[in-house]
Amino acid sequence: MSPTTWGWLVLLFPLLGTVTIGVGYKRWTRAAGVIGTGAIALSFVSAVGALLSLLSRPEHGRELVSSLWNYASSAGVDAKLQILVDPVSVFMILVVTGVSTLIHLYSTSYMKSDEGYARYFAYLNFFVLSMLVLVLGGNFVMLIVGWAFVGAASYLLISFWYRRNTATGAGIKAFVINVLGDVGLVLGTFFIFRHTHTVSYLGSFRAAPHVFHTDSTDLVAGCLLFLVGAFAKSAQLPLHTWLADAMEGPTPVSSLIHAATMVTAGVYLIVRLHPLFQLAPTAGEVGAIIGCATLLVAGTIALVVTDLKRVIAYSTMSQIGYMILGASAGAYSAALFHLMTHAFFKALLFMAAGSIIGAMAGDQSLDRMSGFRKALPFTFACFIVGGLALSGIPPFSGWLSKDAIIAYLNNRGGIYEVLGILGYVGALLTGLYTFRMIFRAFWGEPSPEARELEHGHLAHAHTPRNPVTGEEEDNQVGFPGPEHVIAEREWPMKVAMGTLAVLAVVGGALQIPGVDHVIQNFLSPALANAPLASAAHEPSSGAAWAGLIVGAVIGLIGISIAHRIYVARPGTATRLQQSFPAVHGFLMHKWYFDELIDLLVVRPALTLGTFALGVLDRIVVTGGVTGGVTSVVRSGGAGVRRAQTGLLRYYAAALILGLSLVVLYFLISST
Amino acid sequence: MNSLLIAAAHIKGPHIDWASLSPVVVLAVGALVALLVGLLRGAVARQQVVPALSLVTLLAAGALEIWRFGHPATIIHGALRIDDLALLIDLICTVSAFAAVLLAWRSEAPRDAGHGEFHGLLLFSVMGMAILASSQDVITLFVGLELLSIPLYILCAAEYRREGSLESGLKYLIIGSVGSATLVYGLAMIYGASGQTGFAGIAHAVATHNLLGDPLLLGGIALVVVGFAFKASVAPFHQWTPDVYEGAPTPITAFMATATKAAALAIFLRFFDVALIADKTTWSPMIAALAAITIVVGNVGALGQTSLKRLLGFSGVAQAGYMLSGVVVATHLGVSATVLYLWAYLGMNVAAFAVVHANQLETGTDRISALQGLGKRSPALAWSLTVAMLALAGIPGTIGFIGKFQLIHALVSGNHSWLAIVLVVGAMISLGYYLKVVAAIWMSPAGSASEISGVPVPAGAAAGLAPIAGGAPEADRLPYPEVVFVAVVFAALCIIFGILPQPLFHLASHAGSALRGLL
Repeated sequence: MSPTTWGWLVLLFPLLGTVTIGVGYKRWTRAAGVIGTGAIALSFVSAVGALLSLLSRPEHGRELVSSLWNYASSAGVDAKLQILVDPVSVFMILVVTGVSTLIHLYSTSYMKSDEGYARYFAYLNFFVLSMLVLVLGGNFVMLIVGWAFVGAASYLLISFWYRRNTATGAGIKAFVINVLGDVGLVLGTFFIFRHTHTVSYLGSFRAAPHVFHTDSTDLVAGCLLFLVGAFAKSAQLPLHTWLADAMEGPTPVSSLIHAATMVTAGVYLIVRLHPLFQLAPTAGEVGAIIGCATLLVAGTIALVVTDLKRVIAYSTMSQIGYMILGASAGAYSAALFHLMTHAFFKALLFMAAGSIIGAMAGDQSLDRMSGFRKALPFTFACFIVGGLALSGIPPFSGWLSKDAIIAYLNNRGGIYEVLGILGYVGALLTGLYTFRMIFRAFWGEPSPEARELEHGHLAHAHTPRNPVTGEEEDNQVGFPGPEHVIAEREWPMKVAMGTLAVLAVVGGALQIPGVDHVIQNFLSPALANAPLASAAHEPSSGAAWAGLIVGAVIGLIGISIAHRIYVARPGTATRLQQSFPAVHGFLMHKWYFDELIDLLVVRPALTLGTFALGVLDRIVVTGGVTGGVTSVVRSGGAGVRRAQTGLLRYYAAALILGLSLVVLYFLISST
Repeated sequence: MNSLLIAAAHIKGPHIDWASLSPVVVLAVGALVALLVGLLRGAVARQQVVPALSLVTLLAAGALEIWRFGHPATIIHGALRIDDLALLIDLICTVSAFAAVLLAWRSEAPRDAGHGEFHGLLLFSVMGMAILASSQDVITLFVGLELLSIPLYILCAAEYRREGSLESGLKYLIIGSVGSATLVYGLAMIYGASGQTGFAGIAHAVATHNLLGDPLLLGGIALVVVGFAFKASVAPFHQWTPDVYEGAPTPITAFMATATKAAALAIFLRFFDVALIADKTTWSPMIAALAAITIVVGNVGALGQTSLKRLLGFSGVAQAGYMLSGVVVATHLGVSATVLYLWAYLGMNVAAFAVVHANQLETGTDRISALQGLGKRSPALAWSLTVAMLALAGIPGTIGFIGKFQLIHALVSGNHSWLAIVLVVGAMISLGYYLKVVAAIWMSPAGSASEISGVPVPAGAAAGLAPIAGGAPEADRLPYPEVVFVAVVFAALCIIFGILPQPLFHLASHAGSALRGLL
């Protein structure tokens, strides 16, 4: 079968899955999990099929477009249901379907006591479908559709426990910010379409060098608007505030959507549109600077946050900052490489966090966790693997991928070298906050829950509570189910986490400087026309290895600082907090971004809204416009109905009147 | 006998291209056969064979129309032009008649009027439409128009025992005759000014003899506009429409709403875009004004209607206004947009009328309130009507959206953006009544038993009907499978072509390029 046939199959299975589960949600109880997981697994198999089929083709023939049908080729728009199968999209579908399969498997255990089990899997399958449409789509229309769909899926899943006010609020916040990104994407598409007169990727890319000169205004504007879309979806400054709140969703959702797949869509977007970004270096610089700023800001916030899932969320932002930085600078294969390894180890960390939260009976606060090393040996091992990979310690995968980005930046020089050095600062922060989390959760005196678990009994909350606000809840639909699970007792969770742990260790071996370049070679046909991806810009093996060693040392320094503060001299953290209350407060308030947005956007909008409601809406709109329009329409309707007497003589009169007017018009126009 | 043949051979007639004429011939023969078979004594012959015969005739005519597609020909001394535009319109009328025969299969109308007469007249009417849509000469134009109208006057009164039906037929006859008179007067004046009856001759005379400002010609055009406006139910000449639609037997209403409109718009397009194209700057603003008035009056009038058939009548008025847009711009794009919309209109209206008919057979009324509980009683019908209503309103994903999109495209590229805005505003108003129908289908009446007690009650009781013997197979089976079939098929087409519009675009653009004098 051709790669495109496989590509359509990749899309088909999640579609069937979500429809089947959604339609029969009352009938499927436990089967929903099996159907959902099976659908995604089949999709993964098809993705592998696409890979093999693509590899069997010559290098210059690895960009294939297939259209199922034209929706409309009218008014100059050629909107087709079209997929583009090339190395970049195949790479993405492999990551998405692979990680999704494991997370679906994990979810079959994690969500098993939840009342909304079937609904959960219908949503999750829908998310995977949307994400695959996003990465496989062959034109901007499909991209926009996928982009909007993943936003909707993310909203549905963040607000999955819809009776929790915090969850619905977080869902709305995420959705609103994501829609801002959608608007950017649509407007950006319009800027490009205006000049290239096509919405297909390949057509636009072919036309772009002819219709745009380097850094032409419309192109830069279009690319900056694309970046707005990318920043919103990938939680980059200043559109990042939704991601931490998105942790209100079930933990596997955080793992899949808000760590491994959806939030990396921005990186995919920049890599996919690289022919445009190469012509707009200014936009690339903006992307790189924002990415770098995000990675530092998020890293510092992660140092002080005490909610376990939120620490990992800020870490995700920070790591995506690396990818955005790399992709904007031109390190496409390194950025995608980091995207893949990050998907492995970050999904793993979230799954392990889910297991600890299970052991804590739903509590997520790091302040209350300690000493879980003995009680949760498997989770502990996974957490350590994920943490080392995240901190960039050899030989774990994160070490090779993150430093590949920084090495590229240093090699490119100029402003990018500065950004690369700041990337090392970020690496220090990464080691520090990751191991702060690990040392606090697993070292020290075992907490009551850990002690209970060491005696073989899983903690069970007396009354279920919202982990953020402490409000009392029940276990009905709309709230989490009554049972908590830990990986040690559930084989699906163990399988999913074990697989990811192995991948987090060995995944880096795909690309080792001077040894092998599997990913770079695989992606090269898609990046053939990109000067920034050419061999001249790639760092030499020596430079790359020097960077790797520096990165490893910095990561180790970060870990050792964390060890000093949290293990060797407990209490240092409190002392630091007391001696620098201003810094701590600043970081605890997440650099006051929420407050800043509140002050700059929300308050004025709210004031305007209140004014509009009071004056414009009540008086002008409801009273004048709507009231006027409806009363005009209504009285018009009454008039027409009154004229409809049913009596022929009136009809004849109307006829004569109309006829006279028409004749009059024509006679007047004859003179 | 022999001498008769010899005599016939000596008649000097024009050359006739029988292949191109075949659809019309088949319709004529079919109508005559249906009339004759209707004279047979047996009930089976009358009630089953006659409708079956007319179905066969329509199938054959449809097949011949498809066969002739892409073979444009001017036949019988320039009396008729069988081109892709005419064939697409013929096909609309044929499909519509096919649906009407199925809808009428077990209804009152053919029994009252006599099966032979009912089906014979229906086929003659389709034949009239075919002649009208392809006429190339004012004489054939008028013959076609009368051939389509007179059978319809009778068919509207087919249920002559019912007062409403009689009234509808009589009203249609009187107002229609006034319309025909206006038209024939106008045609006479145009002939007087140009000295020609053929469209091409008129066009040539207007262009060469500098008739552009001639009062006689313009007076004639004015009367012709009014005459056509009657048939297409364009405001302010629409007032017969709701009354006649309401009174006529529903299968006939369905046929009249779709097929007559298609034929009337076809002749609008053909006459103005072929014979009078040189005078476009004069008539285009008038027709644009009529279109705008029609859109407003139709949509506003439909609000507050309680009878579904009246509502659909007003909605048909509004849709005629939309479709006039294609006449206004007088471009290839305009013609193809109108033809595309006519196809869309066929699907949406036949589906809607089929559901109305089914519901009427079951409840005995076409009140909107009688739809309550339809969602539970018959999901197939409920979904069909929902789809039809959403398509009429122009919701994306349905054929109505594609049709409106194309009309707006034609208007904007034809420098009539203001009319496009009127169209959109009209579509906005139309949601006010289309959605009311959808709400009536799916929402249970306020304060019904199921809402108060929260206990599910039998569907019949919830809909306010007398409870029927619970769950008996006789009560549950579809009472009128052919009606449900029509509703479901046409509703499905509305969705299918809403998602896969490309074939329709393709066909419609063929129709657009059939008129060669346009841009």
